[in-house]
Amino acid sequence: MTSFILNFWGSIGRKCLNFISLLGHFFLFFVQIISWIFRPPWYFKRILLQILDIGYFSLPVVGLTTFFSGMVLALQTYNGFTDFNNETTVARVVLTSITRELGPVLTGLMVAGRIGAKMAAEIATMKVTEQIDALGTLGTRPMQYLIAPKVIAAVICIPFLVMIGNTIGILGGYIIAIYKLNFNPNIYLYATVEYLQWIDIVQGFVKAAIFGLIISMVSCYFGYNASKGAEGVGYATTASVVISSIMILTSTYIITALFFG
Amino acid sequence: MSKIHNKKIVIEVSNLRKSFNGNLILKDINFKLFEGESLAIIGASGSGKSVLLKNIIGLLTPDNGSIKINNINIVNLPRVAKENLLLELGITFQHGALFDSLKNWENIVFKVKNRKKLSKKDAGILALSIIKKLGLEPQILDLYPSEISGGMQKRVAIARAICGDPKILLFDEPTSGLDPVTGSLIDELIITAVKTVGGSAITITHDMASVCRIADKVILIDNKTISWSGTPKEMLKSKNSRIQEFIQSTNPKLFQ
Repeated sequence: MTSFILNFWGSIGRKCLNFISLLGHFFLFFVQIISWIFRPPWYFKRILLQILDIGYFSLPVVGLTTFFSGMVLALQTYNGFTDFNNETTVARVVLTSITRELGPVLTGLMVAGRIGAKMAAEIATMKVTEQIDALGTLGTRPMQYLIAPKVIAAVICIPFLVMIGNTIGILGGYIIAIYKLNFNPNIYLYATVEYLQWIDIVQGFVKAAIFGLIISMVSCYFGYNASKGAEGVGYATTASVVISSIMILTSTYIITALFFG
Repeated sequence: MSKIHNKKIVIEVSNLRKSFNGNLILKDINFKLFEGESLAIIGASGSGKSVLLKNIIGLLTPDNGSIKINNINIVNLPRVAKENLLLELGITFQHGALFDSLKNWENIVFKVKNRKKLSKKDAGILALSIIKKLGLEPQILDLYPSEISGGMQKRVAIARAICGDPKILLFDEPTSGLDPVTGSLIDELIITAVKTVGGSAITITHDMASVCRIADKVILIDNKTISWSGTPKEMLKSKNSRIQEFIQSTNPKLFQ
């Protein structure tokens, strides 16, 4: 019985130590990458390629997600607020929900799934096939060449993706409001513009930039520390998406509380 | 290969010891690589040969001991100095480690193109000249590593290693997983590569036939340390049981 209790607490202790060790490693990795971002040489071509990949090629998935979310939101608001079914209420709920939360969070989650998984898999494969070791022996610093451009591109691109996603989401809500709920388009548009606040846009941008940092750092961290061949690549990919998603949902609350709490 | 007499020491490993999480992998490793010499390191799988190589190229740090390259101890050397020193090495990894996303010609000139800021045209010409020196088909240059065979990938990796004329070449199991014919082609390529750059080489291998073709000197890593060293001729006559096992399992005719 005593040994069972010792083993039980021992395993909990080991898990806690492993978790603290992981946090410490991640923090060191984070600091190293940030320091490499500000030191030459800068690989501009690689940054541009990443911007194309993260920004341009994520547009369809982000656009579709936010478009349908805007439509659903308009419909649900109309059904849920039966006593206040007018253009102003629906427009306000759609606008606030999209710009403050749904736009940034859905974009973040979609990019975590699409780009985070890709980053982690790419770097993990390079790690387990010794390509990262080879890079180091060829006079190129892997963190600076491989990871820094991804982080820079993600932090730049995701705010713009969010801005586009917000616009498409609001458009989705507008289409449902006008063509299904038969609202007056002028009043709906007027209400949308009237309730649009700078702080919502700024907060969405801040969230998006932080999500970009989270997705790229977490994905690159798990990729860079992958081991055990194909299994390690799979683990890195899954872990990067799961941890990025959890961190996005956690940080969105913290940022919202800081801005509106 | 030619015999070495009174040559400069290019790599000197002294009292190297390496362990992972308390698990001792290597201890009391001492050897010297002379200028123009080709050294083969043999040993069973898991004996620590690749760990030794990774210590030499700075990917791992030994627990104890020193590794001198051109008389400079790389252990605890500042990062930039170590990076500059390691540029004098040409390395091929066990599985080639070519960059999947780059074409073969980009892989070959990667180091030189980045360091000397070569134009695309000049880099292409350089890649072609190296491929020709090694007697490879120029058609492979515009292909990606995934579009060529494993044997060809190893040859491209050797081309990448010799680009920039490094004076020290390190090969990690260059013939593993290849048929004997391709294996002997790789050996010829290593001999050509070492002659081309006029340098020294360390080759990690299990292949005794390969050792006899390419090496001036052989060391055996067994039981975590260097248990035998000598020339390939001495190796063939050695009564060391581990050496005999290796030779007989690889190529009995060679031992006879």
